[in-house]
Amino acid sequence: MSNNTISEVVKLKRKLYVELVKMMIKENLVEEIDYLPKKMIRDDTPRYRCCEFKERAIFSERIKMALGYSTLNNKNIELHELASDLYKADNINNIVEVIEQACDSCPIDKYIVTDACRNCVAHKCLNSCPADAIVIIQNKAFIDQNKCLECGKCARECPYGAILENSRPCVRVCEVDAIKSDAKRQARINKEKCVVCGRCIVACPFGAIADKSSIVQVTDKILKKDEKTAALIAPSFVGQFGFKVSPETVKYVLLEIGFDEVIEVAEGADRVALEESREAIESLENDRILLSSCCPAFKKMIVNDFPDLKDNLSHTDSPMLTTAEKLKRYNSDINTVFIGPCTAKKEEAADSEVVDYVLTFEELIALITGFEINLEKVIERREIRDASKFGRQFAYSGGLKGVIEELSEGKIKADNAEGLAKCIKKLTNLKAGKSNFDFLEGMACKDGCIGGPGSMINPKAARKLIENFAERSNLKLK
Amino acid sequence: MTKKILEICIGTPCYLMGASELIEYYNNLESRIKDKIELRTSHCLEDKCEKGPVIKFDDKLYFDVTPERLSKIIRKKTQ
Ligand code: SF4
Ligand code: SF4
Ligand code: FES
Repeated sequence: MSNNTISEVVKLKRKLYVELVKMMIKENLVEEIDYLPKKMIRDDTPRYRCCEFKERAIFSERIKMALGYSTLNNKNIELHELASDLYKADNINNIVEVIEQACDSCPIDKYIVTDACRNCVAHKCLNSCPADAIVIIQNKAFIDQNKCLECGKCARECPYGAILENSRPCVRVCEVDAIKSDAKRQARINKEKCVVCGRCIVACPFGAIADKSSIVQVTDKILKKDEKTAALIAPSFVGQFGFKVSPETVKYVLLEIGFDEVIEVAEGADRVALEESREAIESLENDRILLSSCCPAFKKMIVNDFPDLKDNLSHTDSPMLTTAEKLKRYNSDINTVFIGPCTAKKEEAADSEVVDYVLTFEELIALITGFEINLEKVIERREIRDASKFGRQFAYSGGLKGVIEELSEGKIKADNAEGLAKCIKKLTNLKAGKSNFDFLEGMACKDGCIGGPGSMINPKAARKLIENFAERSNLKLK
Repeated sequence: MTKKILEICIGTPCYLMGASELIEYYNNLESRIKDKIELRTSHCLEDKCEKGPVIKFDDKLYFDVTPERLSKIIRKKTQ
């Protein structure tokens, strides 16, 4: 099992992706899409809301995001209008959005009065509340949750610590404090602060936070015979596609469903390994501590929250960009689709000129299912031979660190941090001059990319499979 | 005592709907119950892919199986 539990909302999202792909294949997306909420949300579908009508309204918003459109900017638009022009999808805007109708059912009151309240004379809570939300009932303070602004003043003022902050699941997991409540007490994501790590999507029990998908656009591209499309598969892909599905079979199937080329992003990672270790040596000579730049979430967090350390970021492009750049250099018309476990890469791709689309493993498996292919039954294979063992190790935390140490022949003292919380700790120490490394590999996800929000299997199992796959490479690093 | 057979479909449609959570559930069963069950995996169980995850336990098919449901099914039949 992956770190990401497969709840009923997750299943519904995956079923939706499969349906959309099937409609693309049947070429009836525009005609049929308005009926999809009714078709997929029936009165016996497991549900979270009062009635199937509300469930369907939310589902329509989910469909908009699955088509790559913003739910926030397309409130009163019908689905078929969006479906009739897939390439207007505003993928560049927020990748992660809150579906407003879905969020209002989060039952959590942010501030609650506990039994430690003694009804003291001072009533500091009552006096501090700017919204007059606190009343005293039966010798105890009581917060009128309809009035509460979630400002937290009462909790800070209470001398007995009787008022507790009870944070929402999404707020709790967001390490960069990008989620706040708005006046209607709905979660709001600050696009500038958000590093698109995807944690809140996984954490929300109601599936009220979602990431936009490019699944229909990619399906369209691979169905088009007159366009060339390449699949760039992240180093973490090994083992994500099913228990007995080999990397070689994945490649065969991708070519079979219409990709014209399949390349390991570990190929770009090989070049990043060489370039970044060279940069690390150069930095060492100039007394500059180097920070890795492969994880876009780590990178964006530094730019936002540690501006003093911005110049320490490696100038080397990420493996995704490096691989895509080479493909586009030889064939500028080819569509490039990065396939990985990552939501942050969706934003990195949108900001780049060389990566056209990003799919998560979850989305790709839904796509393959839409093509009615059962990977476990496929016996054909296509050889994969794009990268050395160095590039293949970028998938897990500590991988790049090991590569840099090995390539610098021990000259570079490298360290690593996995998960944004640990990254923040190391960066804070670095800022204070309290660190003892020359190079830091930072990854926003626990365990590295194998623990990404779009991953399918247990990171420990994934790591073993990748290590074997890396050892199997007989390519030398040039 | 003959073991009861638990067949879990790991075909792609069932995998997408969470078959791996069922395998994980089986792996973590207490040995008292696990010893009474033999696990097999299947690539597809009677083409019921639309209703995945699909399992077969003691010769009976079950659809839309979650770890919680699997727990009930197993416990009821291994008493
Ligand atoms: S940084 Fe991560 S957890 Fe915070 S809002 Fe963005 S995607 Fe969600
Ligand atoms: S660790 Fe990997 S999967 Fe996670 S945000 Fe960074 S690049 Fe994406
Ligand atoms: S793949 Fe599970 S029933 Fe067909």
